[in-house]
Amino acid sequence: METRGQRTRHALITVWTLAVIVFLYLPTICIALASLTASRYFQFPISKWGLDWWAKTFNSIEIRQLLSTSITIALCVTVIAVVIAFFGALAFARYDWKGRSVYQKLILLPIFFPQSVLGLALLLWFSTLGLPLSWKTAVFAHLVWIVPVVTLVISIQVYSFDPALEEAAFDLGATRWQVLREVTLPVLFPGLFSGALFAFLLSWGNFPLSLFTTGADTTVPEYLYAKMVAGYTPGVPVLGTVSTIGATILLIGGYGLILAMRRAKTQDETGRT
Amino acid sequence: MPDTQPILSLKAVRKMFGPQAAVDSIDLDIAEGEFFTIVGPSGSGKTTMLRMLAGMDTPTSGDILLRGERINDIPANKRPTCMVFQSLALFPHRTVGQNIEFPLKIRGEAPERRKARALQLMDLLRLPQSYYGKNVLKCSGGERQRVALARALAYDPQILFFDEPLSAIDYKLRKTLEKELKDIHRETRKTFVYITHSLEEAMVMSDRIGVMRAGRLVQVGTPQQIYSTPNTRFVSEFVGDVNVLPVSIGHDGKLHDATTGLHLKAPPIPRDFVQGHMVIRPEFLRFLESPEQADNAVSGRLYNEYALGSRIQYQVRVGDSVFVVEKLRQQPFTGRLDDEVIIGWDARDAILVTD
Amino acid sequence: MALSQGTRSAIPVILFLLAGFAAPLMAVIWFSFMPPRSFSFAGTPTLENYATIFESTSYISFLWSLGLAVVTVVLLAAICYPVAYGLVRVFGKWATLLTLLFTIPLFVSENIRLYGWVLFLIKNGVLLGSLKSLFGLQLESMLFTVPAIVLGMVYVYLPFMLFPMTLGISMVPNETRDAAFDLGATRWQVFKEVELPLSMPGVVIGFLLTFVLAVGSIAEAKVLGGQSVIPITHDIEIAFTYSQNWPLGSALAVLLMLVVGTLVVLALRRFDLDTFLGRR
Repeated sequence: METRGQRTRHALITVWTLAVIVFLYLPTICIALASLTASRYFQFPISKWGLDWWAKTFNSIEIRQLLSTSITIALCVTVIAVVIAFFGALAFARYDWKGRSVYQKLILLPIFFPQSVLGLALLLWFSTLGLPLSWKTAVFAHLVWIVPVVTLVISIQVYSFDPALEEAAFDLGATRWQVLREVTLPVLFPGLFSGALFAFLLSWGNFPLSLFTTGADTTVPEYLYAKMVAGYTPGVPVLGTVSTIGATILLIGGYGLILAMRRAKTQDETGRT
Repeated sequence: MPDTQPILSLKAVRKMFGPQAAVDSIDLDIAEGEFFTIVGPSGSGKTTMLRMLAGMDTPTSGDILLRGERINDIPANKRPTCMVFQSLALFPHRTVGQNIEFPLKIRGEAPERRKARALQLMDLLRLPQSYYGKNVLKCSGGERQRVALARALAYDPQILFFDEPLSAIDYKLRKTLEKELKDIHRETRKTFVYITHSLEEAMVMSDRIGVMRAGRLVQVGTPQQIYSTPNTRFVSEFVGDVNVLPVSIGHDGKLHDATTGLHLKAPPIPRDFVQGHMVIRPEFLRFLESPEQADNAVSGRLYNEYALGSRIQYQVRVGDSVFVVEKLRQQPFTGRLDDEVIIGWDARDAILVTD
Repeated sequence: MALSQGTRSAIPVILFLLAGFAAPLMAVIWFSFMPPRSFSFAGTPTLENYATIFESTSYISFLWSLGLAVVTVVLLAAICYPVAYGLVRVFGKWATLLTLLFTIPLFVSENIRLYGWVLFLIKNGVLLGSLKSLFGLQLESMLFTVPAIVLGMVYVYLPFMLFPMTLGISMVPNETRDAAFDLGATRWQVFKEVELPLSMPGVVIGFLLTFVLAVGSIAEAKVLGGQSVIPITHDIEIAFTYSQNWPLGSALAVLLMLVVGTLVVLALRRFDLDTFLGRR
């Protein structure tokens, strides 16, 4: 094609994309810088560097409690969401059934719904049912939003699943359960894995739903919000940085695992031919 | 080759992808109004070559001339040529009519004139006028084919390129469309450059054929020339099942079967021929009663037979090698499987190739 | 068992969403008809809450929310299209890495990231502090202004525009571009006639998603806007928390749901999810 014009255009797009990435990471960098300040108040350029606030934050029992609440919620959400969404995704993408196209759209509604309003609606609903608010109600609240998201994530994998594989397994004498265990689950595993990753991380970072549904328990994002509104303390950047690094490691690790699995599989295939 | 100026000339055209030459020093002239087909297996560089001709890729070196003008750096949208893609690349968000009118719309022609031209082209391609407002995605394979061709013709190109447009179509419809395409070529008198991996398809339609292998043109000629005088083993095997015997010139200056050492009678041997292959098409092999009935003869065991429509093919095992013999269905061979048979051929029906 | 396998697989999700999504919304709708300041479902239905809203200045909050959302969507469309195009057509094998980079911030709580902007924009923060120490410039902070809110929304919702757009652009078959170009179209005509209409499903989903999220956002206005603007979500929260007027909050929420719901239903009605997600 028009090679020169194309080259300029591609260069512009590259520069623009890199600028957007810088924009995306700028605040995270600011937070990391702030966490490394030794003084009580944040001032830039930083005059005194130090890890004091990291030590203080990690020695605090309150913070450990926060982390454990957040992790408990995220783990529960992950397990329940993946199980429900696995079947949800089969209904979404694998089977042809009567209500499917309506079902596909209805399942999107919670994703397209303002989360703060959803949180309040759930608060009202829990109080109507007389349920005491705790981390357990928060798990439920997170699931309302996360189950549809995970269903979509798994569905994308299910779309590329060839139903003939299941039929072949049946034909070779497998029971329904054996087909699920030996064929369907292993083939869909990458989708389930990324679904689980999404579930964990989205729950870990969620604020609007937690705000109204955790009751006396507090998650990390809630704590940070409370501290932010109340005034500056260097514990906020520290915890924020921890949260960011944790999410990054989990995501890159998970992604690396999927890549490694895929590579092992293709090597298997090339080895055979 | 007529002595008028060729419409399209390639001079030492080469395209590198990294260290690999996808297309390597191609020289070729295509005459005005010709139906020229490039045939080659996948990966032989034929699609790369077509993309350079259409202006979607630029050659690494060499020149492409259109009526004597160098067009290397003219982009596809400025070239008076047009391509029918393998996937057809119909615009899925447009109707049949809108697809055909696309190049006219781009050129800024008035809607009434566009429509008139589109309907005219639909007529030419035997598409019912009622299809004008039809969604292209609702058309059948053959109909889409015709829409794609109509769209390309609407551009009014000097040369039409085809990138294996029939490869995804079932056998019967493909045969019909091949003939239709040749009719369209006759009616429009435009230059067609077609690529395919099927020599059979090329034979049906083309005025001339170029056989490509690993980025190079191995042979260029009429279908008859390609069929009866292939210049390499590669070209001869591309045509279909053939019998290939490795041969060499012995100390006696005569031709011998390289594996058995048997003397073979051959057509006139090229001067510099030392060793190569003797190619015999299956229809030139005969079942014999005694070896003297043909110039060359071997005996073996009838192993199997296959019905190929109008012909029947027989497989004969001779030592470690296999010969294929074809006969018309009306005159089948009466032997039984596992019979000892003698097969033979005449020197004039054999072809000597070096490669 | 007369139910098909598809129906059976859908049952867990459907039951869960009935209990966790449909029922709470019903509760909110019902509550919006309860007498003001009541906390039970037993009261006599009344339109009083809606009357209060229409007499009050809540419409200003509504307009702010909608206006900010529209501005956010427009800015995001302009920012994301080139990037999405690059991810599909330009970056090749780097696209996966870049996609990962765009994904990571999604999993960090938006509060934390917004707080990063506070540290960047605040007086003596990263931006103004650097300007002061490097060039001796003394500028007013843009923190706690409307542009700061828009910045925050654009920032937080960027991936929600980018990913659907990328998906949309990747649905444009390569050869249709080449074909249009070959038929004489210029760069711009290829974009207008082929690329944009064919990537429309993704673009529409991106618009919809970011608009809905932006209308429902609350943290940006609080953290970066510092109460300079009160969006409708803030009004709802106040009704539920400080003023303890659940019926009024419910009525406001119902109105917001109506606006958002209408938009979503209209946009999704003519949409085939199979072709979008499954690329069939």
